[in-house]
Amino acid sequence: MNAAKRPSSSLTLLLAASAALGGQKSVQADETGSAQSVGYRFNVYDEDAFSGQPVIGSPERYHVDSQQFALDTGVGGRNTLDVNATHEVMSGSSPWYLVPGPGNKPVQVLSGATIRDHRSAVQAAVTHDAGANDTTSVNASYSAERDYHATAIGAEHSMPLNVAVTLACGGSFSHDLIRPTDAELYDRISRAQKNTLSGFGGLTWVLNKASVVESGIQINYQTGYLSDPYKLATVGDVQLPDTRPEKRTEGAWLVRYRYALNADAALHADTRVAANSWGQHSLALEVSWYQRVGGDWQLVPGLRYYAQDSARFYAPFFAADSGGPYFSSDYRLGAFGALAANLNVRKRIGHWEVTAGAERYHSSTSYALGSSGVPDPAIVSYTRVYAGLDFHFD
Amino acid sequence: MSAHVFEFSGMGCPCALHLEADDESVARTARALVFAEVDRLDRKYSHYRDDSLLATLCATAGEPIEVDAETANLLDFAAELHRQSDGLFDITAGRLTRLWDAPGGRVPAADEVAAALRLTGWQRIEWQRPHLRLPLAGVRFDLGGIVKEYAADRCAELCRAAGVKAGVVDLGGDLALIGPHPDGTPWIVGIKAPQATDRAAARIELARGGLATSGDYERALIVDGRRYSHIVDPRTGQPVASFASVSVVADSCLVAGAAATLAMLMGMARGGDYLRELGLPHLCIGNDGRASGDIAR
Repeated sequence: MNAAKRPSSSLTLLLAASAALGGQKSVQADETGSAQSVGYRFNVYDEDAFSGQPVIGSPERYHVDSQQFALDTGVGGRNTLDVNATHEVMSGSSPWYLVPGPGNKPVQVLSGATIRDHRSAVQAAVTHDAGANDTTSVNASYSAERDYHATAIGAEHSMPLNVAVTLACGGSFSHDLIRPTDAELYDRISRAQKNTLSGFGGLTWVLNKASVVESGIQINYQTGYLSDPYKLATVGDVQLPDTRPEKRTEGAWLVRYRYALNADAALHADTRVAANSWGQHSLALEVSWYQRVGGDWQLVPGLRYYAQDSARFYAPFFAADSGGPYFSSDYRLGAFGALAANLNVRKRIGHWEVTAGAERYHSSTSYALGSSGVPDPAIVSYTRVYAGLDFHFD
Repeated sequence: MSAHVFEFSGMGCPCALHLEADDESVARTARALVFAEVDRLDRKYSHYRDDSLLATLCATAGEPIEVDAETANLLDFAAELHRQSDGLFDITAGRLTRLWDAPGGRVPAADEVAAALRLTGWQRIEWQRPHLRLPLAGVRFDLGGIVKEYAADRCAELCRAAGVKAGVVDLGGDLALIGPHPDGTPWIVGIKAPQATDRAAARIELARGGLATSGDYERALIVDGRRYSHIVDPRTGQPVASFASVSVVADSCLVAGAAATLAMLMGMARGGDYLRELGLPHLCIGNDGRASGDIAR
């Protein structure tokens, strides 16, 4: 055609006029360009201190400062590599066990010393994009702290069944090694491990030009030492180690909905319902609104609701004759619910993109699923703020 | 790899979708997408339908209304063509086109032409993206020359997104290539001969881009032995003495269609020069059947 010679000025004008209607990109359209970027995030997570209730020990709870580096780059052909590295510094004291107080109300006992620990993690994923929603991805990760090492591998594949429906499936395996600190001093298990096998499958439907819905099932199967070595349960007058079954199976159903109101505004709505073999059920709902403002700004306000009921073997404390064999007073296995509000702001300046955000998470037994029984004083509320900078090479 | 041909009727003309795909379901999905897209654009932009967006726009004269992004892009394109053609290309000429395109088979009276001319002229329209205001009631839009071509490109794009790599979208002779045959060889496509619409005036090889033909061989009005083109100069209200057809090849059907339509509007005298200046492969056929242009017959 006219590729060899320079287009005339009239043709240049004609092509320029047609650009917004796709007149210039009829041939290039199916060539995928891989976006390349590097990014940095600083994240502060701060749990509310115990207040207004009797505690034994320091009322200060967990505080985590984390830094994250991310790299997203093409590695030849249609392959992309994503690498994430995280370093976290944790401090504060954690809930240890509960004892019955006046009126049989639970009183929280916190771990004696304020801990200070580090965690480093690296994750890498290679994705091959065969075009038209046909992608295959493999990933691996490693995370290390003084008393905990986790190694995981996974794979995902998504392929179009037809133009409107895409099937995605995947699986992962993780092996965690636990070496609790001060094991002898507190009569903790000295070394333990657990394995997690996960699988998921889902379908994504393009309903029309503006909306997409995704529905999927996820199954997680865990075996090994699933107890928390740093927690105790009060049984009668004594404290016994947190003891949970050595197997746990969880099934979850996820539905995600995306609706683009126009080119600048979109609604994201996600739900997840889950049940596990420990007798717990949970529900999560999340709604976010993506709004572009004035071309370069993006605001993303969101609301989240989460609720669960308690595990079969959970209680703030147990009667001496409650039998067992499993005991846990970990608030994470009790009934509670939470409401969270968050806001993310992004601003693009040339190749740079600045992002900042905050989240307030408030939990309460009154938001729980089903009967909440005795409120666990340890359920956590937190504030999270973060800021980051990305550089896009495109 | 199997070949599929789906024939259908869309935008008032015979259409066909030629595909080569391994997978029957991919071909069927592409067909469903193409049917739906042609139907959507026909409903939205047809100047023959009273329920189209264009008809609605025309019915809301006086009030500024906000149009969607796709319509805004088409209006921007039309405005730019109007500017580049010194007013020859004018999407507000719907009333004039209809007058000369009337199935009644009579030459319109001078006062009818004058009345239509008063309701024609893009310069009378207030277009400040995304707001459109028609100060006059009764203006009729005609997106002929761009909408069918845009639809062909869109259909080809949808087929590619659906996983079809080889094929041609043919909307009444306006073609958009999805991609060459699986072995990389181009498609051989025919350009209709004006005098015999079942015979090809030329055959060319196309692997990508688009081919569009503008002509009045199917719709010219012949009264008392005189041939009146339905290509009307929106500035004078009179038919243009032009080619029987102009076909252009470009990187997209949209650009090919715009170039062919502008050349038709410019007429025998200037149309050929304009196409040569654009540098796009083209074929012009006169009313006497004589061909010119750089596409070999």
